[in-house]
Amino acid sequence: MLKAGRETSYSAVANQKTDTRFMLYKNNAKTLLATTTVVSWLLLLIYVLLTAESKLAGSKAPGFAYPFISNFLTVVFIVSVFLFQRLHTEMLKGIDFIGYLWNLFSKAGVAAYLSVALYLVYRVYINYIDEQYTLLLHVVYQINFGLLVLFLAKAFYIWRQLLLHHKNKFLQIAWDWFELLLGGILLLTLFNFKYTSYVFLPLLALMGFYILFLCTNLKWVAYLTFSNKSRSLVLLGAILLSCYIFIRFFYNMADNEQLTVDYTDVGFLLLAMLFVGLYTLAAFLVSLFSLPTSSVFEQKSEDLLNFQRLSLSIQQGQSEAQVYDMLVDSTIKASDASAAWFEVIRNSDPQVTHLLNITEAQVKSIRHLLQAYNIHNMDYINNNLGRNPGFRGLGLPWKSMAILPIKSTKHLSGVLYLLKDVEGGFDHETVNVLRTFTSQTTLTIENLRLVNESLQNERYKEELKIATQVQESLNPKTFPTDSWFEISTHSVAAKEVGGDFYDFLQLSESRIAIIIGDVSGKGISAAFHMAQMKGIFHGLMQQDMAPSEFMKQANSALSRCLERTSFITSSLYIIDYRMKGFMFARAGHCHTLYYNSMMDDVFYFKTDGLGLGILRDDKAYAGHIREMYYDYNPGDVMVIYTDGIVEARSPQNEEYGEDRLLYMLKQTYHLEADDIKYAIINDVNDFTGPDNVYDDQTLLVIKFRPTQQNT
Amino acid sequence: MPMKITQEIRDNTVILTLDGELDASSSVILDEELSDPEIMKYTMVLVNCQNLNYISSAGLGVFISHLQRFEDAQIRLIFYNMQDKVRNVFEILGLDLLMTIVSDYEEARSIANE
Repeated sequence: MLKAGRETSYSAVANQKTDTRFMLYKNNAKTLLATTTVVSWLLLLIYVLLTAESKLAGSKAPGFAYPFISNFLTVVFIVSVFLFQRLHTEMLKGIDFIGYLWNLFSKAGVAAYLSVALYLVYRVYINYIDEQYTLLLHVVYQINFGLLVLFLAKAFYIWRQLLLHHKNKFLQIAWDWFELLLGGILLLTLFNFKYTSYVFLPLLALMGFYILFLCTNLKWVAYLTFSNKSRSLVLLGAILLSCYIFIRFFYNMADNEQLTVDYTDVGFLLLAMLFVGLYTLAAFLVSLFSLPTSSVFEQKSEDLLNFQRLSLSIQQGQSEAQVYDMLVDSTIKASDASAAWFEVIRNSDPQVTHLLNITEAQVKSIRHLLQAYNIHNMDYINNNLGRNPGFRGLGLPWKSMAILPIKSTKHLSGVLYLLKDVEGGFDHETVNVLRTFTSQTTLTIENLRLVNESLQNERYKEELKIATQVQESLNPKTFPTDSWFEISTHSVAAKEVGGDFYDFLQLSESRIAIIIGDVSGKGISAAFHMAQMKGIFHGLMQQDMAPSEFMKQANSALSRCLERTSFITSSLYIIDYRMKGFMFARAGHCHTLYYNSMMDDVFYFKTDGLGLGILRDDKAYAGHIREMYYDYNPGDVMVIYTDGIVEARSPQNEEYGEDRLLYMLKQTYHLEADDIKYAIINDVNDFTGPDNVYDDQTLLVIKFRPTQQNT
Repeated sequence: MPMKITQEIRDNTVILTLDGELDASSSVILDEELSDPEIMKYTMVLVNCQNLNYISSAGLGVFISHLQRFEDAQIRLIFYNMQDKVRNVFEILGLDLLMTIVSDYEEARSIANE
């Protein structure tokens, strides 16, 4: 990164160097050209004055007449002025076309008015002194010639900049040839050929056509706005007038006997003037005729910009209100509406958020009328309100109306009402543009909602992640291992976290308490209740109480903190190895599945017991909890689980059920606890199919081992 | 399948017919239905569970939360036509001892008239 950065800065420096070198060269060239211009013009003046003097002296044979010198000086002057302007106008850049025109008028067009003023002053002076003053006329003529060349050169190269706007290769070549040909025509003057001789006339005609072709390149005019076009018309008019003044002046002077030189003979100037004049005229006419349509183009380009702004508003994180602002603004402009209002629909209740040239009372009366006609929040255009007696009765000034709902397939978010004071105000075109705006807005609003929803979803997912982490951290990772029993656990959290939990506590050397439970509800609240239940378990069991007593106390504690719709199901087992038996109580939890090895029988302990947090009266709850004591035999198997196992669904929406679970234990009770567990889980997974876990699944398999002699 | 709940009034009885699966999202609708203050004007709420295919813990929670309120207002809440698997869920949780679950509408009516 650093290296690349350095390289670019090097090249920037290098560019700057060449730039400055180029600038220096240009400045030198410009100084040189300016000097040449002044010197050649002065020399020309001196020459002209000398010839005029000798002519005045009356000698029949002109003592001082070298047309070659005069032609040479003229050509040098013209070339240096044109080259100077060529370098000068290259610096003009950008699309400020009015700036170009102003530059042209203020720096060159004014020359014509100056020349007229000069000539008038000369005439007044001649009248005043009442005698011919040929030398002074020559001076005026020469000055005017200088001004003409300046004007032409400036205009020529500024028109070049505009003509070549959005150029292609062909146009560039065409222009280059034009310049070359014009330069060639300058040679005619140098060698003193009469361009009017019939040999050159077809050539001149061809050049004329060439110029006509070039004058058709007026792309820049399209970029002018309405007000810019009117301004450019004034400037172009003034420049045209400059052309006219110069042409008139020089053609009038051409017949003047007193003058020794006649610049109308210079074919180059004629052609340059033809080009400048024609191009100015063409620009003037095109501007003039495109004036009425320019507002349409402006509106179209503004519509486009507004569309873009609407579609960008999502990325810029704008709110719905801002999108509606944009919509109201853009549609009013696009339709040129005289009044408008916008209603946002919240909970199917319209709220007016934007008003333009209309009062709340008027909105109310119109809405009443629309409801009477059963036109409610629907796409509706009426271009002749005056014909409607109901609307006429309201005495409102509007004659056409458009109603545009912002409506996706299922959601109506707002309605836009536009009013115009002319009949037929909403023609087909306008309505199309308006509809495009509203559908774009609908899309934007819809997208904004989706973005918000996905953010919400993201938050929800984060919450689930936390809940899952809590759940995982709450379930014990390892169970105590002992010689008299084996235990195997399985626990899977669903995509939407439920509230399964299990835990154990070693009460004494020979007694262990095992709890399993399921909290109703999902997500963070379920995880929270699980943590609470776990606290209650560890807290109460420190006091080593019977399972039924534990359930009563747990119910009492939970009743104080669970919300009304939540409850917890749980089973608590206290296994006593020394007594070879276990005590348990079931509080609304799934029935315990049991295999008795003595009777070789598999069955459920179908005991009564109410879930925790359902009956919140301690005494009433006490009547709903049972305790059971059972002696176990070596080889007995106890299967403890949550409803995620028995309520697991197949793709055909059948439940796994207690019967199938019982059948599974019948097939597997002789296996080790781990294998029994795997067999059951595999069967459940076969039943549901892959990726079909909708509720947490928890399964504990406990197998009692035969007694060992040494313990 | 989304839940459909229809309400029917007969004399002093509100009959709610549940159609579909009562899961976390549909139990919100049920809760709104049972929270309707209008219901307190009647002496009985009968719940027809014939087409109730599944009930989640959230659905049970809704009934549990309204149980006490109805009892306090001396409104009888009676379930009838319950499918076995749904009844099993009620029984496992111990709700069959707290709530009145009968086999059909006639039985529900006769209990109500006691």
